[in-house]
Amino acid sequence: MREVTFLEAIRAAIWEEMERDPNVFLIGEDIGKMGGAFGVTTGFQERFGFDRVVDAPISETAIIGVAIGAAAAGKRAIAEMQFIDFISYGFDQVVNVAATYLYRSGGQVSIPIVVRGPSGGYVGGSLYHSQQFEAWFFHVPGLKVVQPAFPDDAYGLMKASIRDNNPVIFLEHKYLYRRIKGTIPNPEADYIVKLGEARIRRPGDTLTVVTYGAMVHFALDAARMLEQEGISMEVIDLRTIKPLDMETIYNSVRKTSKVLVIYEAPRTGGVGAEISARITEECFEWLDAPVMRVAAKDSFVPFAEPLEKFVLPSVDDIVYTARQLAHY
Amino acid sequence: MSTTVRNRRVKQDGAIRYRDRLTKNDLLEIYRRLWFARVFDETLYDMKKKGRLRRGNVYGSRGQEAIQVGTTYPLRPDDFTSPIHRDMPIFVFRGMTVEQVMCQVWGKANAPTRGKDSWSHMGDMRLGIIHSTSMLGSTIPVACGVLWAQRLDGNRDRVCVAYLGEGATATGPFHEGLNYAAVHKLPLIVVVENNQYAYSTPVELEVPTPTVADRAKGYGIPGYSIDGNDVLEVYDTMCEALEYARAGKGPVLIECKTYRLQGHADHDETRARQYRPVEEIEMWEKRDPIVRYREYLLTTGLFTEAELPEPPADIVEQIQNAVEYAIQSPDPEPHTALEDIYDESAGVSR
Repeated sequence: MREVTFLEAIRAAIWEEMERDPNVFLIGEDIGKMGGAFGVTTGFQERFGFDRVVDAPISETAIIGVAIGAAAAGKRAIAEMQFIDFISYGFDQVVNVAATYLYRSGGQVSIPIVVRGPSGGYVGGSLYHSQQFEAWFFHVPGLKVVQPAFPDDAYGLMKASIRDNNPVIFLEHKYLYRRIKGTIPNPEADYIVKLGEARIRRPGDTLTVVTYGAMVHFALDAARMLEQEGISMEVIDLRTIKPLDMETIYNSVRKTSKVLVIYEAPRTGGVGAEISARITEECFEWLDAPVMRVAAKDSFVPFAEPLEKFVLPSVDDIVYTARQLAHY
Repeated sequence: MSTTVRNRRVKQDGAIRYRDRLTKNDLLEIYRRLWFARVFDETLYDMKKKGRLRRGNVYGSRGQEAIQVGTTYPLRPDDFTSPIHRDMPIFVFRGMTVEQVMCQVWGKANAPTRGKDSWSHMGDMRLGIIHSTSMLGSTIPVACGVLWAQRLDGNRDRVCVAYLGEGATATGPFHEGLNYAAVHKLPLIVVVENNQYAYSTPVELEVPTPTVADRAKGYGIPGYSIDGNDVLEVYDTMCEALEYARAGKGPVLIECKTYRLQGHADHDETRARQYRPVEEIEMWEKRDPIVRYREYLLTTGLFTEAELPEPPADIVEQIQNAVEYAIQSPDPEPHTALEDIYDESAGVSR
């Protein structure tokens, strides 16, 4: 076992997959000599060379397009978005080219790519360095969407994503990069976290919290506070947002009968809305209260601290809504 | 490197005439391919009129055959192409069967896309044919990726020919793709079929420079602006571009000037004679690439009139048979609509 930060876990996973499989390569902005804006790929170009660690122009469409084309020709590409916000430039490549490729090739051409990058707020990044875009891609057939909350999951999910034969959007919450530490297995263990499996990070029986990304940590903080009030929260960390592990959610809902869905993105049309709808369709008779949500306000993520705090969900918001739900 | 736009027509003296290497058999095969393209187009228009093709649009390429034939004839079997909606014959020139292509047009279960996507949105990576989407510029970055995979495998001289209309050169992906290819000196040849209209929009509202080839200057790569209705000029230019690209010098842009004699698709025939001057259409009708090539062949003295039938009967028969094959082929089962959305096979490198 190794003690690492969240960022180092991602770095280790990519490094080990590149050592294991010569078909894996990286492409992105400033990822070579500089090692990427956050340093995830520091030292990769010295080890793997210029052709496998490609410093691309500022061209998200080209970066993702090259990843797709190389994948169609048998490679496994990892495309770094310097900030996941910039994926909007490459949106067509992701949703119209990558996601559809297997389908429109009659099953001939799979696209094993990972489009990864830092996402999320709470760091004063303002409008274009703070967003959570999972709902955009959650809506698109053919894509998988992953967002880990802990180093071991980040490590195992990244390896699984690289080995997966489908395009994977891998969201790395930048708030967690250096704040969250943990242990990961040694390379020989070949540790994989299968995509599509949620993990119960804390068992409980008063209510079920379904969440992912940085919100897992917020939910765990809230759970510790509420424990003193006799409210026992079961915290489900989705880990993979698409496809959803609904079985784990349904099993928990049947136990607690109350659900709080938490997500950092704007409330309207978020992933939590779909989760809520499915729970209502499948578990209606088990519910003792409406499925409730804590999410960002329907706004952009503003720069100034009081503004950002007002828009994004807080531990206090979770505590407040969880109490309401517990006493419903 | 020179970034001057080259016009083979004005510097013909200095340019290599690759056409001189063509044998009589080559010349005849080029003639037959031109006719294959023409008959393919005419047959599908006819099928649409007769109601035997009831779904989807037919995007005609009458008058643009010299580009399809001239750009593909000098390619190696292991080169890549990404044809677009006016390049249907290229799928056959690059190794698909006519039956496969017709099944695609009719949306049949045994089509390359299994009835999932329409018309030219197909490919076959085993034949080096890259699948395009409706967002035509978007395939340029993908082509760069296919070439990047070749670089990783040490196949630096396999070329990719990516096709576009002049309208698609106004898109962002065209720029990002060519910029990437030029920065990394990828063997990408972009063939712009400048048929003067993007749907109804004339070229001067798509491209601000005197020629589309002028766009090459921005990438520091060679740009050619040539007569796209002269199959041997297209062939010569392509040979020159291939030598350049295979030598590792980077991408090339070739603008083939031509004209869309028909509407954008078969539904557009009436309006296409309203948003364009009829005299303009008539002028281009006189520049028919097949007529011109046939006249040239006769002047060489290598062929008699009888050796150059208009059209060769076996080609008509081949295409007709493929149409009947497609019509009789099974429709896809409804449940297959949900197949091939994900690949859940073991995630190991192929």
